[in-house]
Amino acid sequence: MPEWLASETALVGELVGGQAAAWDVAGELPVELLRKLGAQGVLCAEVPAAYGGLNATSHDNGEFTAYVGSLCSSLRSIMTSQGIAAYAIQRLGDREQRKRYLADLTGGQLAAVGFSEPAAGSDLAAMQTQIRAEGDSFVIDGQKKWVTGARYADLLLVLGLFGEGAAFAVVPTTTPGVQVELVPSPLGCRAAGHSNIRFDNVRIPASSVLGGGGQSLSLLFTTALSYGRMSIGWGCVGIVRACLNAATNHARNRSQSGKPLAEHQLIERHLAELLVAEQVSTRICQHASQCWESVSPDMVVAAVLAKHVSAGHAARSAATAVQVLASAGSQDGHVVARAYRDAKMMEIIEGSNEICQLILAQHALSTIPDNA
Amino acid sequence: MTTDQTTAALTAEAIEDALLAFLAERIKTEVAADQDLFKSGLVSSMFAMQLVVHLEETYDIAIIGPDLKLDNFRTVKAMTSLVHRVRDADDA
Repeated sequence: MPEWLASETALVGELVGGQAAAWDVAGELPVELLRKLGAQGVLCAEVPAAYGGLNATSHDNGEFTAYVGSLCSSLRSIMTSQGIAAYAIQRLGDREQRKRYLADLTGGQLAAVGFSEPAAGSDLAAMQTQIRAEGDSFVIDGQKKWVTGARYADLLLVLGLFGEGAAFAVVPTTTPGVQVELVPSPLGCRAAGHSNIRFDNVRIPASSVLGGGGQSLSLLFTTALSYGRMSIGWGCVGIVRACLNAATNHARNRSQSGKPLAEHQLIERHLAELLVAEQVSTRICQHASQCWESVSPDMVVAAVLAKHVSAGHAARSAATAVQVLASAGSQDGHVVARAYRDAKMMEIIEGSNEICQLILAQHALSTIPDNA
Repeated sequence: MTTDQTTAALTAEAIEDALLAFLAERIKTEVAADQDLFKSGLVSSMFAMQLVVHLEETYDIAIIGPDLKLDNFRTVKAMTSLVHRVRDADDA
């Protein structure tokens, strides 16, 4: 754990305590805890100090994200959303917007980011949400689905069509015409507050459209998602670590047929696989963070790789850990039971396995020399 | 890419040459300065984002707001004029 994030780590450890299981079962995080963490800047720790942030490096925030992910993927999902919002604002906003909104996001306000729509998941071209000029202001109409953290959010970052291009608009959840409806009983990250949102003739000032709008939809999407993929990759490292820890301890302490599980070779193989998963996912996220910190053009693909590899390892590791713990880990709320459900969702969001594979295949086709 | 390209004497030709070399290395194809990279299928929006990062890092600029349009990355010439425009705006 990076030394200078030590106090933040201790704070999260103390605030979460042993409550993650209860939050999972109840399907809700205590919002006052989220605000407290938000006001400490830890939900989007990479925000530069000039904007009130902790100015964490990608590595340090990554290890911190993994730590939170090892405790509670619902809370880590909130961090991912807040971090995407902060990164998009920093990257796309003008000077005034950066100042104003990043102060909000490091001051206790919570943000959620709306990408998916009823007809537009991976298929961006099907996006229908419109942000259009009307007099001095803008009007938003449309729907967003499965918006992580929207239940708790003060600010919604909404991606929509805008003239010939697209735009991100920042919309306070209390704006007339915004309707947030909680997704009941999600498979995983049950306390992350996933919600469907309707925007019905929602009027916002022109100053809430990031950078004046009109950017390319795919570039906006890729920008925001790249941060999200880094965060999810590291969060999955946390899931794998929690599984490795739980399975190793269980194998050490539980005896069957007169000897500890750890002395049964088939169980040992599970532990070996968990260790490999922990190492591989950590290394690939470290690589992505290195690309991110050195502002390498490879950072976009490195983030896809990190997310894809870590999510796959998290899903397999969670299944392995449940297998090792068996009935001991088969109750909702248990760390490996949560991991099993949460990790599966990590193979879906921010680019499903299949979308990641398409991107990686294209990368291979465009970078491997043609030997013909 | 080396940092000596960020020095003052940054001609359009120098930027073009550097970009053509960067593209040749990345996509393993020789392209012309006015070739539509997207239309020719050589470049995806994912790669366009890599171009954004590359230009920002190499020329010490920030490409934000309405400059973040695919049209600005469509050809080597378009990217060259984007770099000039953003640098001039920064100097102003």
